Amino acid sequence: MDATTTRPAEGAQDRGRAFAFTGTWQEFLPIALTNLLLTIVTLGIYRFWAKARERQYFWSRTRLVDDHLEWTGTGKEMFLGFLMVFAALIPIVLLLVFAARLVTEGNDLGKAVGIALFLLIYCGFFYMAGVAALRALRYRLSRTYWHGIRGGSDDGGWGYGVQYMWRTWLTALAFFVPLPWAQTRLWNARFNKMSFGQHRFHADATAEGLFKRWLLLYAVIGVFVAVFVLIALAMPKAGAQPDMNDIMNFGMGMVIAVLVLYIGLPIAALAYYAAYYRRVAGATSIAGLRFRFTAGTADWLLLFLGHIGLVIATLGFGLLFISYRNYSFAVRHLDLEGEIDVAALAQSSTRAPTDAEGLADAFDIGAI
Amino acid sequence: MERGWLYDGATAVRHEIEVAAEGEAVLIRYADGGTSKVPRARLFHVDTRGEWEVYGHIEVDGWRLGVPGAAAAGLGPLLPPRRRYGGWIDRIGLARALVAAVAVSALVIFLATRFPGWVAPYVPRSWEENVGGPVMASLDGRYCHGPGGDAALRKLASAIAPGAGDLDIRVVDIGIVNAAALPGGHILIFEPLLTEAAGPDEVAGVLAHEIAHVERRHVTAAMVRQLSFGLFVTLVGGGTGANLETFLSARYSRGAEAEADADAIAALERARISPGGAAVFFDRVARRERRLGAIGAGLSYISTHPEPALRARRFLASAGGRNDWKPSLSPEEWQALVDICRNDPARR
Repeated sequence: MDATTTRPAEGAQDRGRAFAFTGTWQEFLPIALTNLLLTIVTLGIYRFWAKARERQYFWSRTRLVDDHLEWTGTGKEMFLGFLMVFAALIPIVLLLVFAARLVTEGNDLGKAVGIALFLLIYCGFFYMAGVAALRALRYRLSRTYWHGIRGGSDDGGWGYGVQYMWRTWLTALAFFVPLPWAQTRLWNARFNKMSFGQHRFHADATAEGLFKRWLLLYAVIGVFVAVFVLIALAMPKAGAQPDMNDIMNFGMGMVIAVLVLYIGLPIAALAYYAAYYRRVAGATSIAGLRFRFTAGTADWLLLFLGHIGLVIATLGFGLLFISYRNYSFAVRHLDLEGEIDVAALAQSSTRAPTDAEGLADAFDIGAI
Repeated sequence: MERGWLYDGATAVRHEIEVAAEGEAVLIRYADGGTSKVPRARLFHVDTRGEWEVYGHIEVDGWRLGVPGAAAAGLGPLLPPRRRYGGWIDRIGLARALVAAVAVSALVIFLATRFPGWVAPYVPRSWEENVGGPVMASLDGRYCHGPGGDAALRKLASAIAPGAGDLDIRVVDIGIVNAAALPGGHILIFEPLLTEAAGPDEVAGVLAHEIAHVERRHVTAAMVRQLSFGLFVTLVGGGTGANLETFLSARYSRGAEAEADADAIAALERARISPGGAAVFFDRVARRERRLGAIGAGLSYISTHPEPALRARRFLASAGGRNDWKPSLSPEEWQALVDICRNDPARR
């Protein structure tokens, strides 16, 4: 008799989580090493195939309820996708060179046209970065299979690019204070265009409550500035001979200021992103199943301290395992609540994209 | 018949099935008794998941057949093998692929090292001028023309290279000890190089080096290299490519510098100007760099110039054993050159 529904409690052994990572570093090591070797001897071109092999391993060691995921993307398609985008960017770069010459050598009209061209191309790049983010996510879902079913999207990201552009600019104009608002809305906009099987993702994350964490960063900068002002006030008046005490105080003050900035700022950023990912994952669902992401600030901190410790202890070779640790961290903290009705999960009708992650690669941005 | 499972690609339902080989096809029997046949040529290997060998169907999106590992061997000697490193690497094997890749990469790097030198002489001067001209123009107002200074500079240049007449050599009032050759036959000498120099021979050595850069068209070659191999490798090769390019371009640059040094030594000897002056100059640079200590030695791998101490030794070695050197400038000419900025009426 065929199973038509699967429940996390039935399939998953560890603490009843829907997702589990079953890879081991011993299995991944030969993959990472041969990837590195092949990438070096091919002047870096193998990196597309290396990425495909890496993902294929990660996905195949990610169990969702009763079966593992499968990555079907290939190095060849990522390479071709990159070349496609690269070819499309050449005329734009030539236009940029032309604009530069207009500005440096043209008359007043030429200069004005040159500057207008610059602005236009700058906006264009900004727009394309947004388009690229959506297309990269679409590509990843379209190559991700579970129970023979894949995800995808029929949206080309053209509308998303516009939204990305104005929300980011508005945020920058307001000194980045509304960043949580922009990020959650953009997350919703991306995921509401995505589907798995015939089901649409649904995301309705709000920034409520996230602002407190985000403003922590401003608080850290405020403390830094305050310490600096105190140092300046504590300095002896001009002309007076500074004594040993003044110098000690000055040194201590500087140390505190730098500690506040270099330790406080990353931790505040982690605290924000921990809350952000919990929020957006928790607000994302598909076919009545709700995602959950459970990593707290301390978990993130341990992840990054672990990265640093590993790289130092292995004299740099640990760099090979950064992607492994990041991926397994994400899977270990991801959960899906509800019952999957496999009989009602039918194949995706979305078109499988052929541009892969070319655009995202060209702009050097991530997908999530 | 062997037990197996199947996802048909239409829904996510996992079908418990039985499989058997039947001629050139795989026979699948469902739990309800129905059967279907898939020709072996339609199957491809997807993955090994625990005890299961997983196969896909080239025509059905998401179709996956799981067969126990042991049974798979009996089922299909004709089933395609596992993909591992990607297409052609799997076909020829990892070891052979590595050797082939090293050979091709070595050839590419060799061509990338030689090709710019072959092409550079055919790049028209007017193209070079498009690059060098604007740079020279951007320094307008900082050039020095104190009385007698330019004449001394021209005398020095034509002593080193008889054909140096069409070179544009200028002193610029910018506070670094340096000199530069720009595309289009322009040579810049920064003022402190003159004021720090002990005598005209030092400047002659540096000038001979820059003239060699112009005559060998090193800057043009470096640009050709940057725009062909450099651009390709950093874009397509990503991070690894960018690191490699940093290393190779520094090596290429050191090669060009060494070549310019050798040309300079030959030119100075022809002009009977003592290379000892240039040796003193590089010795001073070396002493300044020595303060960097071990870091300096490490940096020599990514440095664009050869180690200064080594350059000083080379110039010194060529100076040894001869004493028929001619003074490159008279004391008056030298003073006019040193004071070219200080005495420039337009620069007060």
